[in-house]
Amino acid sequence: MKKPNLAVDFCGVRFPNPFVLAAAPPTDDAEMIARGFEAGWAGAVVKTLGLEHVEVNLVSPMMVGMDYEDKRLVALQNIDLISDRDIREVLPEVRELKKSYPDRIVIVSIMASTEAEWKEITRRVQEAGADMIECSFSCPHGMPERGMGSAVGQNAELTYERAKWVAEAAEIPVLIKLTPNVTDMRPVAEKVKEAGAEGVTCINTVKGLIGFDLDTMAPIPSVEGYSTEGGISGPAIKPIALRFVADVARDVGIPVAGVGGVVTWKDAAEFLLAGAGIVEVCTAVMRYGYDIIEELNEGLALYLEDKGLASPMDLVGKGLPKIVGHGELSRATKVLATVDEDTCIGCGACVIACRDGGHQAIEFAGPDAGEDARVPKVDDEKCIGCGFCRTVCPVEGCLTMQPREEKISA
Amino acid sequence: MPETTKAAVLTEDGRTYAPHEAVIEASRCLMCEDPPCNTGCPASVDVRRFIRKIRFGNFRGAARLIREANIMVGVCGRVCPQEMLCMENCTRAQLDTPIDIAGLQRFAGDVELAGLAPVPEAGAKRDARVAVIGAGPAGLGAAAELAKAGVGVTIFEKADAPGGVLTHGIPPFRLDPAFATDEFSYVERLGVMTKYGAKADPAALLGEGFDAVFVGIGLGRPYTIGLDGEDLDGVHIAGELLARVAAGETPSLGEDVVVIGGGNVAMDAAMTALRLGAANVHLCSLESHEEMPAFRSEIDEVQSEGVAFHTRTMPVRILGESGKVVGYEGVGIRWKTPGLLVPSNAEQIPGTGFGLKADAVIEAIGTGVLDRFEGVETDQRGVIKVDEETMKTSMDRVFAGGDIANGGATAVLAYGEGKRAAGAIIEMLDRESGKGGGA
Repeated sequence: MKKPNLAVDFCGVRFPNPFVLAAAPPTDDAEMIARGFEAGWAGAVVKTLGLEHVEVNLVSPMMVGMDYEDKRLVALQNIDLISDRDIREVLPEVRELKKSYPDRIVIVSIMASTEAEWKEITRRVQEAGADMIECSFSCPHGMPERGMGSAVGQNAELTYERAKWVAEAAEIPVLIKLTPNVTDMRPVAEKVKEAGAEGVTCINTVKGLIGFDLDTMAPIPSVEGYSTEGGISGPAIKPIALRFVADVARDVGIPVAGVGGVVTWKDAAEFLLAGAGIVEVCTAVMRYGYDIIEELNEGLALYLEDKGLASPMDLVGKGLPKIVGHGELSRATKVLATVDEDTCIGCGACVIACRDGGHQAIEFAGPDAGEDARVPKVDDEKCIGCGFCRTVCPVEGCLTMQPREEKISA
Repeated sequence: MPETTKAAVLTEDGRTYAPHEAVIEASRCLMCEDPPCNTGCPASVDVRRFIRKIRFGNFRGAARLIREANIMVGVCGRVCPQEMLCMENCTRAQLDTPIDIAGLQRFAGDVELAGLAPVPEAGAKRDARVAVIGAGPAGLGAAAELAKAGVGVTIFEKADAPGGVLTHGIPPFRLDPAFATDEFSYVERLGVMTKYGAKADPAALLGEGFDAVFVGIGLGRPYTIGLDGEDLDGVHIAGELLARVAAGETPSLGEDVVVIGGGNVAMDAAMTALRLGAANVHLCSLESHEEMPAFRSEIDEVQSEGVAFHTRTMPVRILGESGKVVGYEGVGIRWKTPGLLVPSNAEQIPGTGFGLKADAVIEAIGTGVLDRFEGVETDQRGVIKVDEETMKTSMDRVFAGGDIANGGATAVLAYGEGKRAAGAIIEMLDRESGKGGGA
């Protein structure tokens, strides 16, 4: 069969592949974006610009990571602001970028306050040759205190009003970047659609407090001993992002640029299945560099090939019909923990997990079993099929959940 | 080689983990149910539990837990042959590689030393006194365990510092003697009295009113081969040479050095010779590579440092000129009876003789019993006979453990035997004071 073509059409724009650099430090100047394009990124959302009179007063440090055991940067908190660069410098760079990379998609992220400002900045970005506009209604720190950022995205009416201003002024497609710091994003996304914007980007960072310095007992990142709540990104937020992408894609029916915790092609494929038309990446690029695009593109292409699909567009939303309400889930089949005794290494992680986190259904065979003493035995009567044991087994494919009928008859 | 460089290569290498590296290694632990590692430690360290403490950031708790089972946290973290003990049955090995348990133990000990080492709580004071002869690993194990149970303990050590073979028989690049001495003195923080430069006899001590005596004097008499040329200048006994180096001396051995032996002491001697500036080090052993009694890890280390092995050979003579060593002659052997790895079973293979240039020859062929005690039954080598469960000797109220009772093994086994004897002594004291104990 033909090799898959990674190009996607999104909001009427043709992207050479579905991967776009999110509005963040990696897109703060044209030289950086050019390196990203050289590496293979299909597009970039230029870091959020305000008008020249908007004062951007950064703090330092503004980022701090969360580690988990041996893994560094499971999550990142930033208290960065929009770009502190002068829009009069950046827009000519946008024009040059488009000249040098005509097939790549340059999206400019903007933030403003009044109708006049939103319209002015929209017009100027458009004149600079941007392919699309992304409006940040979603930054959870710094801007909300000034009536911008997530203060807008948390309010359906404010969102509607501003999205409409931009949509009216824009001749190019407009994306509205939404905040996950709401109980339900769908009413806000509905308003974006009603206002005439072409799509939404979800999600922006999750508002959080990443931790404390146990020596000083003060929150981090420490800015002269003080800190503030910030935006959390990185692998830890992926499940939250997927949920919002799926909610909006399924129930609002508006194109979605998916973003939040993507590191590998597998993460990206999941965003596509949840309904995202393109995938934006930031934290993983900051950590590993632009060239991770190689793994995203190659991995996704090979996956499509394996699945006999021609385009990433064939994946978009494909997983949505299978997401149903809890009450609609079948109760007909019970599954049971099933241990493959040939591959089991006898660590007993499942024994502990079931004893202290389940229903005491798994025990070692014990000394009477001789050399099989450390093989876990499942009590099929006690096992309720919760599946927790499977999550702790260190051997791939060793502990599986099998339907009761099949297991008993096997 | 300039003296300063020698001193540098003779200091302990810095293999300890940084905190985040320790967490990385600890988080590889599968945290097994009924963990097999725990059954491998002669000192009964709860391996799974201390690794869990490291994994979840409770570093000092890890050190405290290990210290309760074995006061030699850092020492054993450095010298334990973990691949044949706790690590041997590590389940993780079935996935990729076993957990570096000794490395993590060393880390815990180092972290603890950076803060204040906590003292395990002693039990209620007992009206009982026990004498411990020898402050090596066996004696320390017995003393610490007894002291924690509230028994009054006095250690009699003939040397002027604790540690026994660990202090004078381990090269400083493996174990820093100052660090080791410091850690051994921990036993004093448990309330143990120590008398150095003091030889003692079990019967006499019982006569002085001690309720029991533990003998942990080690071996101490290095064997020599009895070769032609053994009296030449440049012939060394490994144990004596290592003791000098441990004490801070850096004797010059010359360019070419021959080590005779296939045990851990031979390996340590070979590595020490390299660090003292020898350019060519040859190791001649009766045993084949697979038969050598040294720990696999030590053999691998010696080989990776470029020492030339001449296995299944026996010495013929040491050559000299003007009273000084100039060469070594050996010959290939086969075993008359397969599997019996003793010199008397070796048979020379004609035509396999070889000569090596040598400025020094180091003999490392084993150690025998030095001191014997009247009334304590031994085998013909002088190794004290004990009941394996209680470590009790033929003499009433006298117990023994470590090399003097097992003929020579690891420090951690000696420590474990000391603990076992302490347990039996406490049980005996309980029984006699009517506290029940085992009754």
